[in-house]
Amino acid sequence: MSTLHTRAPTLRARAVSKGYTTGRLRTSVLENLSLSIDSGALTLISGPSGCGKSTLLTILSGLQGVDQGQVHALGDELGRLDKPALERFRLQHTGFVFQDFSLFPALNACEQVELPLHYLGMSRSRAKERAQHALDEVGLTSQRHLRPAELSGGEKQRVALARAIAKEPQLLFADEPTSALDAANGQAVIDILHRIARNHDTTVLCVSHDARLIRHADRVLYMEDGRILQDSCAPSNAAGPH
Amino acid sequence: MIALARKSLLYEWPRFAPVACAIGFACLLQLLQASLVLGIFRSASVQVSGSSAQLWVGYPGTASVNLGRPIPEGVEALMRMDSAVERIEPFQWSDGNWRGSTGNVAVSISGINPEPDGQVYAHVLSPAERSKLREPDSVIVDRSDLGKLGVHVGDSASVNGYRVRVVAESRGLRSLSGINIVASLETARRLDTDPADASGPTYLVAQLREPNDADAVAARLCCKPAFGPYQVWTASDFARRSELYWMLDTGAGAGVLFLAMIVLVAGAAISSQALMGAVAGSVRQYAMLNALGIGLKNLRWVVLEQALWIGAAGLAGAAVLGLLLLLIAHSQDVPIAFNGTVTLACLLVALAVTGVSGLAAVRSLRHAEPALLLR
Repeated sequence: MSTLHTRAPTLRARAVSKGYTTGRLRTSVLENLSLSIDSGALTLISGPSGCGKSTLLTILSGLQGVDQGQVHALGDELGRLDKPALERFRLQHTGFVFQDFSLFPALNACEQVELPLHYLGMSRSRAKERAQHALDEVGLTSQRHLRPAELSGGEKQRVALARAIAKEPQLLFADEPTSALDAANGQAVIDILHRIARNHDTTVLCVSHDARLIRHADRVLYMEDGRILQDSCAPSNAAGPH
Repeated sequence: MIALARKSLLYEWPRFAPVACAIGFACLLQLLQASLVLGIFRSASVQVSGSSAQLWVGYPGTASVNLGRPIPEGVEALMRMDSAVERIEPFQWSDGNWRGSTGNVAVSISGINPEPDGQVYAHVLSPAERSKLREPDSVIVDRSDLGKLGVHVGDSASVNGYRVRVVAESRGLRSLSGINIVASLETARRLDTDPADASGPTYLVAQLREPNDADAVAARLCCKPAFGPYQVWTASDFARRSELYWMLDTGAGAGVLFLAMIVLVAGAAISSQALMGAVAGSVRQYAMLNALGIGLKNLRWVVLEQALWIGAAGLAGAAVLGLLLLLIAHSQDVPIAFNGTVTLACLLVALAVTGVSGLAAVRSLRHAEPALLLR
């Protein structure tokens, strides 16, 4: 069992519950869920639609709060942070990749990646340098001057990935990052996510029902009805359940 | 910093152009409406604002220049005794019944001093036009009223049963209170059939040696009971008094002001909805930036900058179109008053509406779960 278990978890949820109210109807999405996730590995949350995996990702990333329980990220209890503090936490420590690339049509690839860096207080030249480095890492060196309309779906997702990793976040969250991509592009994104986890010791938490991702994940959490039913590590990575 | 607002505007201009047009047209509507309102009500005091006199003397409590009543003749002597008064002349105002080829038409008759240096209508009639009034029974009418009176220059008609001849047409005599015909004092007195008007002139107007002293002189000369009922106003006070009477005390004024308010509200609603729609088109990108930790405060600035650029583009278009429409209105004698303060107010209102609409659009982010927006 491995190096994955020798370090302190970067993400920890303890007895977390979350539900939504629509009209008079209360739907429970997560029920008394606990888990720990380590850095340096690609952890995949899988399960059928509506099982609560995306909700779990948004809770662990600080995008929304919990009804009950506690969430610790990098040692901070997210429930104790107010909205500006949560925004600061996300700015400094997290990256996001979503199925929808959410790129600004007017900006070229390099500018898309640079934009969040300026809000970290980085100088223009430093931000540009970082952006170019991130684009190199996702294999888009020659496409850095192209706008989204000139990029393929896979290239757009890699720009979004570069935008997420340019901040050099300790936590990288990806929600269905390969669902809209063909096999080759999906594989490229999976490889990049894996490489980021390994090379940068980043905690990569990915939500997907894409079977291709399951094969490449270091650890797979299988969810149903708001609970984790199965927690398994890929044999090659020797990461066991927590 | 990446100029996100400007880059988006330039690259996605087809998406934002309708918004700029909506804001431009909303502002233009407000501006033209305000100019029309001002122009229409200013025409209620054309006798005062078109004259060079600094003081107007009339019956106490006269609400508007067209509602004058005769004042005692002795007041003129009082005015002449004051060393601050340089020149004084009477102004006769009466109602008449014009009978021409179009039938009977109610008119107002302005009896003025026809000398080249006469004060009433000094800014409206040229000395050459005034001198034509020396001819007995001659009148001048606004060119926009010729059709309604059924005459051309040189034609004759009758007023209160007396024959008159139109010796000239002029611009700027059009008044909210009705068709205004101008005659010499002698002709006007002859045309005035109301015996009550025989007691004295309707108004006395005066130029001062020092025009800046108008307020003090008006206060000094005003309301001495020994000289009978009369009141003294400065020209600007009397003009404002007439305009306010038409604006606030008549149904027409209330209706036009109500319409102006509706135009303002409708313009604000249209431009704000258009802008919010355009901003909503980028809401997923903004939600993504917010997820990455860029605060709503920073996003608000981006949207505000974008909104103000759109507003500025719309206002620039409105300025060009507005100028064109004002020129057309002037050429057609439409009473329209272009006023710098009102223009600035309309521009500021449009920009404020734009800014507030942009901020309202960002507010939708606050109420939206980023997680749901990004699915």
